[in-house]
Amino acid sequence: MDIETVEQRAGPRQFGPSDELPEEYRRAATRMIQFHANSEVMGGYLDKEFTRHAPSLDRKLANTAKVQDEIGHAQLLYRAAETLGVKTREEMLDELANGEGKFLNCFHYPVDSWYEAPMIDFFVDGGAMRRQATLKRTSWTPYAHAMDKICFEEGFHVKHGESILRELMTSSKAVQERVQETFEEWWPRILQFFGPTNDESHHDEFAQRVGLKTVSNDELRNSFLNMYVPKAEKYGLEIPEYPRIFERDDGTMAVREEDLDWEEFWTIAKNDYEGSHEQIGSRRRRQEAVEWVRQAMDSWDTTAESAPQAAD
Amino acid sequence: MIWEVFRQEEPGDYHQHVGNVHAPDREMAKQFAQIQHARRMQTNSLWVVPQSEIGEVTAEEASFGGETDKSYRWAMTYNDIDASFAEEVAESEEEQREAAEKRTEVNS
Amino acid sequence: MTDESSDTDGETAGSEADTTPAAATLDREELRDSQRAALEELLFRLADDEFVHAERATEWQIYAPTLESDLALANIAQDEFGHARLWYDLLQELGYTEAECIWERPAAEWTHSTLVELPFPEGGWGNAVVRGYLYDTAEQIRLEALVDTSYAPLADRVGKALSEEEYHREHAGNWLERLAGEPESHDRLQTAVDELFPHALSLFTPGEHEAEIVANGFRRATLDELRTEWLDTVVPRLESLGFDVPAVEGVSLDTEGDNRVPLDTEGDDGVGDDDEVSDDDGITDTETVPRPDVRGRDGTHTDVWAELYEEFTHTYHEIQPEEPATLTSEEV
Repeated sequence: MDIETVEQRAGPRQFGPSDELPEEYRRAATRMIQFHANSEVMGGYLDKEFTRHAPSLDRKLANTAKVQDEIGHAQLLYRAAETLGVKTREEMLDELANGEGKFLNCFHYPVDSWYEAPMIDFFVDGGAMRRQATLKRTSWTPYAHAMDKICFEEGFHVKHGESILRELMTSSKAVQERVQETFEEWWPRILQFFGPTNDESHHDEFAQRVGLKTVSNDELRNSFLNMYVPKAEKYGLEIPEYPRIFERDDGTMAVREEDLDWEEFWTIAKNDYEGSHEQIGSRRRRQEAVEWVRQAMDSWDTTAESAPQAAD
Repeated sequence: MIWEVFRQEEPGDYHQHVGNVHAPDREMAKQFAQIQHARRMQTNSLWVVPQSEIGEVTAEEASFGGETDKSYRWAMTYNDIDASFAEEVAESEEEQREAAEKRTEVNS
Repeated sequence: MTDESSDTDGETAGSEADTTPAAATLDREELRDSQRAALEELLFRLADDEFVHAERATEWQIYAPTLESDLALANIAQDEFGHARLWYDLLQELGYTEAECIWERPAAEWTHSTLVELPFPEGGWGNAVVRGYLYDTAEQIRLEALVDTSYAPLADRVGKALSEEEYHREHAGNWLERLAGEPESHDRLQTAVDELFPHALSLFTPGEHEAEIVANGFRRATLDELRTEWLDTVVPRLESLGFDVPAVEGVSLDTEGDNRVPLDTEGDDGVGDDDEVSDDDGITDTETVPRPDVRGRDGTHTDVWAELYEEFTHTYHEIQPEEPATLTSEEV
């Protein structure tokens, strides 16, 4: 199939492993799904911290379950990416550990307190879920299949996050102030979650033409604002004055992008922010520390394979 | 040798188990499967898998999803939180509710 | 903390009967003070073991060797927290609150075995496997001795926990077997056995109410019997996989015959007079390792416990919730 045919046929769940697809499509899809999978893993580095802090046994359980789901999502997504035949899961995980793998901006900022839990679990996950829901209609079928399962689970994550936010914002004044402070720190990062405006995005246009992506960054961010700004306000969070949020003629909300720190964003995109070094360094260290287990399992595999197969 | 057959109706669908065929090797299994399991039903793709390569674990021997209360990992447990503000959250909750109800029905 | 007024000695019919109560025949309204104290000792140990074991196990989330193994271990941790909740719930039915069971309970009152509080060395998947194996085997043996407990509310819950423990035990056993073969991984597991085995013995350290626990049929076997069963299971298995089980000072691994020594008998310091273990118990190395001087069961803990406790209670104290959030479904 040439790229013109791909564009003509592009639509929800149109292509799968049995199609002969041009290199350009395979690479673009791999880049996108690998990014998504990496983000699930690196999001876990933040979320796992909350388990220890959780102030109730059930919250602890819920947080553990959420982190488990994230690794489950990574598993689904790396498999979906592998089906494109460009990279193996092992290669993608190696790239993540050695700093070549890219992932969401928000996960380049280490966390250390429970007050950050709703920032990740409600706002970041809420944003992610907006995007993921649109990816059920992506043209790469294995990716869409992964999305079916991921979206099935994500509703719990967002409600878990909102429930924590609500609990904190009905606690003492001191706690509410801590949450507000934390929110102000996270809010610009959350707004950048959807990336820069469409015309600045390198890969956006191609991804839309071939049906990998069905909705633009701008549209996603604006619909996110429409839903989540009222939620923040409902719980008594004040939206910071900057970056400025404004209402467009059609009543939808948008952000003045010039108010956001794009230099930091692009530094992060190169994995070169100080938080990037810390998070990726942690990933590398943790992965190397258990390399011996993977090696032992590989040798066990070989032994098992040499054993005679059961004949029918 | 027995081969299990999985059929995908349309591009984008899941492959679903539809039956099996006796065949001496993979090539023959593919030939037989086309006729036995796809001669009438709409088919986009077939998979054939040696039965002996399939591992199985059943509800007899395993307790899928565990037996203790794990409602903390279901969206509808958070029933003081209204999911309707975002359709994707509401949809996920609805899917979870259905799945949980099915689990309860089957287990009771 | 407990509501003493609700227990009145002698109310239970046939209270001084010399036969132990039958399965599921005692309910919470019928407990005498001494029975209640015994039951609380039993439940706190069950709950604390599971809670602290899970707390450590969750440290592996995102850090496990592969995505699949990460998911499996996370599930085990969740199960253990869930079991802790089963047992803490029973304590709550006896009048405690979750805060009193966990968040506001002084560190020195926790009675988990020191085995479960130890931190993992970085990359210590072998430690996680060995710990899981030693612990889950003990847990199954302990739960089986509770299936016919006289305490009805406990009897209701044991089956649920047991069904989940089966996966844990198989999981640990599978890993143990697979990592035992390669020289490097074998060495790492051996290091873990050396470190953990002496601590695992504290799983069976009796508390002050041990006699009462057995006499009332709360547990159908003594801790000494459980230890014997455990030793008879884990020692041959470890040895068959080529591991040396360390000889621990004052503890004989021999579970039968003259060398058999009850563990932690009150007023007895164990064998004491002889550090050598017999030749016929499969231990070739007669060098003994010291028994850790903390048992966990009596509230004495290793140095790491205070830090762990501070970490997991810190936010609770900062937020001071009216009560810890509960997430149980009313719908399903």
